Amino acid sequence: MKKNMNIEWAGLNMGRRRFLQGAAAIGAAAAAGGLPKPAWSAVGSTLRVRAYSDLKSLDPAFSSGLPGEAVQAPIYNKLIQYNPGSEWGWQLDAATSIEQVDSTHIKFALRDDIGFTNGYGAMTAEDVKYSFERIVDPALDSPNKPDMGTLSHVEVTGEREGVIVLKEPFAPLWSIALPHITGNIISKKAFQEAGGRIATSAPTASGPYMFKEWQPRQKVVLVRNPDWKGSPAAFDSIEILPIDDENSAEIAFEAGELDFTAVPVSSVERLRGAAPKNGVLKEYPSLYYVWLGMNLDNPKLQNPKLRQAIQYAINLPMITEAAYFGIAKPSTGLIAPGLVGHREQSLIPEAGDIEKARQLLEESGETNVSLTLDVNNTTTFVTAAQIIQANLAEIGIAVEVNVHEAATFWTLGEEASGDQWKKLELVLNRFSMLPDPYYATSWFTCAQVGKWNWERYCSKEFDALHEAAAIETDTQKRDEMYRKAQDMMEETGAYRFLTHEATAILYNNAIKPALRPDGFTLLRYFEKA
Amino acid sequence: MLFYTIKRLGLAALIIVVAMTLLLVMVHMVPGDPARTMLGPRATPEMQEALRIRMGLDKPLITQIGLFFLNLLRGDLGMDVFENRPVATIVFEQLPYTLELIAAAIIWPVVLGTILGVYSASHRNSLIDRLTGVLSIAVVAAPAFVVSLFALLIFAVQLQWLPAIGAGDPDSFADRLRYLALPGFSIGLSWVGYIARMVRASMLEVLGEPHIRTARAFGLSEWRIHYGYALKLGILPIITMLGVGMGFLLSAAVFTEMVFARPGIGKLVIDSITSRNYPVVMGAVLVSTMLFVLSTAIADLANAALDPRVRKAL
Repeated sequence: MKKNMNIEWAGLNMGRRRFLQGAAAIGAAAAAGGLPKPAWSAVGSTLRVRAYSDLKSLDPAFSSGLPGEAVQAPIYNKLIQYNPGSEWGWQLDAATSIEQVDSTHIKFALRDDIGFTNGYGAMTAEDVKYSFERIVDPALDSPNKPDMGTLSHVEVTGEREGVIVLKEPFAPLWSIALPHITGNIISKKAFQEAGGRIATSAPTASGPYMFKEWQPRQKVVLVRNPDWKGSPAAFDSIEILPIDDENSAEIAFEAGELDFTAVPVSSVERLRGAAPKNGVLKEYPSLYYVWLGMNLDNPKLQNPKLRQAIQYAINLPMITEAAYFGIAKPSTGLIAPGLVGHREQSLIPEAGDIEKARQLLEESGETNVSLTLDVNNTTTFVTAAQIIQANLAEIGIAVEVNVHEAATFWTLGEEASGDQWKKLELVLNRFSMLPDPYYATSWFTCAQVGKWNWERYCSKEFDALHEAAAIETDTQKRDEMYRKAQDMMEETGAYRFLTHEATAILYNNAIKPALRPDGFTLLRYFEKA
Repeated sequence: MLFYTIKRLGLAALIIVVAMTLLLVMVHMVPGDPARTMLGPRATPEMQEALRIRMGLDKPLITQIGLFFLNLLRGDLGMDVFENRPVATIVFEQLPYTLELIAAAIIWPVVLGTILGVYSASHRNSLIDRLTGVLSIAVVAAPAFVVSLFALLIFAVQLQWLPAIGAGDPDSFADRLRYLALPGFSIGLSWVGYIARMVRASMLEVLGEPHIRTARAFGLSEWRIHYGYALKLGILPIITMLGVGMGFLLSAAVFTEMVFARPGIGKLVIDSITSRNYPVVMGAVLVSTMLFVLSTAIADLANAALDPRVRKAL
């Protein structure tokens, strides 16, 4: 099926007949010796990739962050998987077919050749039901529950057939719930035997790779699953090495100890001119969003003209050049290009307008304005803060930059951590993002004030728009709703959207990496070049 | 000596109790919510509260301190509720990596530094003595992180003789040694110069003492005088320095584990502080503190064994 969305959700239209036809054709060609020798037949091959942090959990209900999904995706199957490539989309994985029957029912049928290792049998619709329903089970307390949205239950209609039933429509089901962490299908029997949840050891696998071992703070080792009947795994094993520091990872790549790693944006210019031997550099736009927020409840920021003056004084290209070495591009809002709801332009010009900023400040009647700007302690954010400081100095606003260690920074706007949120004035913030606009707007609702909504923007109209957009299935309408939501945010004067950042990766030309449009690894699809 | 040993170990235990109490208080003064950090942004306040209760953070600080020491007496460092594994397991699976790194960083500098120091002292003002002096000061002045980066670029990237990251195959001693070469070299290099200068100065002082003159008068060989008599006393400051230097080695290990992406206590402490994983912070710091206190205690006991005047001082 094909979802009509702004982003091209191009599912494979592969029915049983078409599958059989294809399989027969491939078989005939192979028998005639007409197929090239597949790369995966090479022996002794190990793919070594870097992860930015160590494995925390192999349980889809308790795994958070991309490193967890990077390990789980090759060993578990999902009904659908993200397509590798430059456009967001999905392809069938464990499902032979999946169809949205109506706005709250999604019918699926599983392949009949997927089984769980270690004797846990064939994958059935019962496994799908167990995998999805446990995520929303209040007794399990899964932090990933919101990703499953409005899931009610899964009806099992046959051994390998079922219907996903939603309480109300939930558009991100196709872009987050099914193809990301919560979509991983686990073995009901294996998990029940393990007491209902697992930690850092997987009792069984169903994907092209199996979990072999976790050496804490050293590596996770996956090995080829001999029982896998799908497209063969290209490597005998995959080693995922947690390396915090991108510079160390870059050196390890140059030493030939890694086949794939992200590299710091500061290295990109140098690597463009002289990539290491056998190295290929690629740059991807990321989904993160970085913005300057203003605390609407702070007495010093009550004047809307002052907030607008700040918005207009900030020059985005200066920030992306200085802090991101020109690799990242200025953003127009929360939602990155390629996703539903992306705005082609923000209300404020990219480079700002210093004259207008001065005029707005004058109209505000505010004089001798001095503000604090709180930032996380990374070179990039400190540099960006210094540019903002210089931009605001141009219109006569003095800014004091306060740098915080990461965990301390993340408490600044949180009411539960004390009263420091009251003193918060300007803050440079960065949130991660999944490929659906619902994920972005959910942090700026009234319910999030004092939790993750540090600007303390609270609008019933915005909340209603956020709720309505999540259940809207018409892509065009949804797109308009999210663009409007970002306009509303910007009109408050409390937000100056800066950039979506960028991901730069370096890989060995002996491999053919498979990546999402934002540069995230899809290890199960990695091949030899 | 027995009385001295008991007193010294008692002092070590007291230092550990004071250090851990201070750490417990400090850890709770640092802003940052472990539940929020560990569970991520999607966790509800109820989930966060449940985690705080499981971690015992809902109890008053004094109760937490009391429980920590009570559990410690039972050999229980608590549970890492997020990984659902005992803290002791987590800490002790990382400890060997740090110990082998410290060993690799100190054994070769002690051997080489002592040889160079003794040679310089016995060949005072010779070309080698002067050369050793210049090189010693040069390597002492070279920060470990600069040495690490150059070592990586030369031996791992350019020559590709030695691995850049990791700790090697746990089942292969030779492989682990290979992975220790660069980090051990990077931390140890400045110690060579330091030890060489210390041994030289100490030996020169000892060589001027009356009992050495007496030994010479009796016609003993220079080799025997240097290595049989002078070195025994000349090495004393080195033992003390190594005991105190354990603190430096532990902090250098933190940095080196990050640069060389090695597992170890240092990396564990950094990771757990960043995530506000208090039980693991406490367990890892306890073990680090014990290592430090134990090494200084051993150094003092060794000094006392070699020099009776030290025993009388306490």
